[in-house]
Amino acid sequence: MKLVGIAGSTEDHSYNRTLLKFMASHYGEEADIELLDINDVPMFNQSDDQTDSDAVQYLNRKILAADGVIIATPEHNHTLTASLKSVIEWLSFNIHPFNDKPVMIVGASYYDQGSSRAQLMLRQILESPGVNAIVMPGNEFLLANVKDAFDENNNLKDARTVDFLGSTLQKFVKFVKVINTLNEPTTAEEEDLSASGKIDTTVEGVDMNADDWVEQAAAKTHAAEGDDYIKLDRGLLTVNQLNMFLNTMPMELTYADSNNQFIYYNKMLPTEKMLAPRRPGQTGDPMSSVHPGRAVKHVKQVINALRTGKTDLVKMPVPGNTPDRFIMHYYKAMRDADNQYKGINEWVLDLAPIVKYYLEATGQQLVADPNAKVDATSGASAKGAEKPDATASASVEEAKPEETATDATTSASVDEADTPATPAAPVAPAEPEPAAEVDGTSGASES
Amino acid sequence: MTKFIAIVGTNSDQSTNRKLLQFMQQHFADKADIELAEIKGWPIFNKPEDKHVPAEALALADKIDQADGVIISTPEYDHSVPASLMNALEWLSYGIHPFVDKPVMITGTSYGTLGSSRAQAHLRIILDSPELRARIMPSSEFLLGHSLQAFDEDGDLTDTEKVDKLDGLFADFETFVDLTKQLNNASGINKQEATDFSWDNLG
Repeated sequence: MKLVGIAGSTEDHSYNRTLLKFMASHYGEEADIELLDINDVPMFNQSDDQTDSDAVQYLNRKILAADGVIIATPEHNHTLTASLKSVIEWLSFNIHPFNDKPVMIVGASYYDQGSSRAQLMLRQILESPGVNAIVMPGNEFLLANVKDAFDENNNLKDARTVDFLGSTLQKFVKFVKVINTLNEPTTAEEEDLSASGKIDTTVEGVDMNADDWVEQAAAKTHAAEGDDYIKLDRGLLTVNQLNMFLNTMPMELTYADSNNQFIYYNKMLPTEKMLAPRRPGQTGDPMSSVHPGRAVKHVKQVINALRTGKTDLVKMPVPGNTPDRFIMHYYKAMRDADNQYKGINEWVLDLAPIVKYYLEATGQQLVADPNAKVDATSGASAKGAEKPDATASASVEEAKPEETATDATTSASVDEADTPATPAAPVAPAEPEPAAEVDGTSGASES
Repeated sequence: MTKFIAIVGTNSDQSTNRKLLQFMQQHFADKADIELAEIKGWPIFNKPEDKHVPAEALALADKIDQADGVIISTPEYDHSVPASLMNALEWLSYGIHPFVDKPVMITGTSYGTLGSSRAQAHLRIILDSPELRARIMPSSEFLLGHSLQAFDEDGDLTDTEKVDKLDGLFADFETFVDLTKQLNNASGINKQEATDFSWDNLG
């Protein structure tokens, strides 16, 4: 799990930074904690918008990419510091990286209070509509008398404090998982095909629908290319080698990420020769741009079944298959090491040559199954006999959309025989920004 | 004539809190001399070890010292006081203590309905802290909601009920200032405590 830590102070000797550093080094097994620097963030001023400054964008990126945030706050004048408040104001003005983000508050102070008042105020601020973070309830960690709390190696001296902080962090790790599961679209209706959310790999500032999205996004990310090496699991290839490798796969491959953005296909054939035609300019498009409106419902169902783990594989024959041509679409959920949903690997291939070769090589012939519920000439999907689905396949772009509505065998039936899937992993496709503030006093807006 | 310093609680160029204070300046011109003070462009408080306080803060501290009272008008950002105002108050309590025993009246405006109610409550907590220790006028609140529509082209508050309320509160504040002058038994001790106060030496 990836967490980021923000020390709410810009002073040189911040015990709150020391506390976060201790947490990062001491509890590495619980989570990977990266400290973020707020020193270069300017004072918030709504009439001098510096949202695009490096310091603000750095925090925005890091927080968006993190599973959760830990904030360590000092207490000045019974409240949090202006420097921390200024950071939060930038991050709730025109951008909202804290939206639905799990946050844990800790604090250290010189006195017995241990930043108790600052923590309460910070909690209230983080829960205001413009920020909209989800702060872990209870589990208050107040570190009082900090001047005596650390040894010369900046380790917390008191063993009970170390244990308590560790157990609090453990709870936060669980809290992060629960909250990020809550944020997951759990129903097909909630799937956002317009890809308006953001995931940690989303390239911001490039028009998804641009025909040269690939070139623009590559420039923006300084992407490896040509003879650059890429370390893979398991191997080492250059980008050129990887392209040759993928472009000689005996199937058409398409990558849609967990934000429902179409970001790759193996361009081995011209569009018109593809089984499921894709155009180079479509890469980068949100899923909504590459599906006809009537397919939306079905596409959402397929994505959501994969995202939530109802199944790990959806397969369907395309309409209009013949004994000589049996094109299948497969949709496989991709998950990371933590079992979090990361997108769909779609492959398309013609099974007919494989079956034909098998029959020839083994001296056999096909015989119609008298008990079959499907028309043997079109659609051999075992489960295909379920309800006809008028909205048809979820392929990126239908070759012949007009046919799909009439074919009764096309179905995205979820194959129950597939490996039982684990429950949805907590990927957090960021919600769209909250709509207009309910009240002008909320959010970092002028009054 | 009574002298008040009116702090605009934001660094924004456009502010209805500034408008409110400008209105009060004009409206109460025969009762008090109200001078507006800005907090834009102050460096971010970073608790420097050499205790150096920027010139802007020293200048405002001097004005507050010489004034009979302070009016602060605060917007509300994220349910609380804007960072720029918090920042000013951090500097104004770092080795200097102009707010100790100083009468303070809080006002606030917002575009929406609530009129910065949460920020005003937050500001009271801040002003009550050991190194500020202001004498905030109790049990009074001036919340101006829908502030974009509240003023006419001459900068006058159009809602007469609001003007009446402000008149009452301002008269009370002048009385409160007089009363505060009598609450002086502990003032020497208060000043000394704020000066001696050090989070470093506590605990």
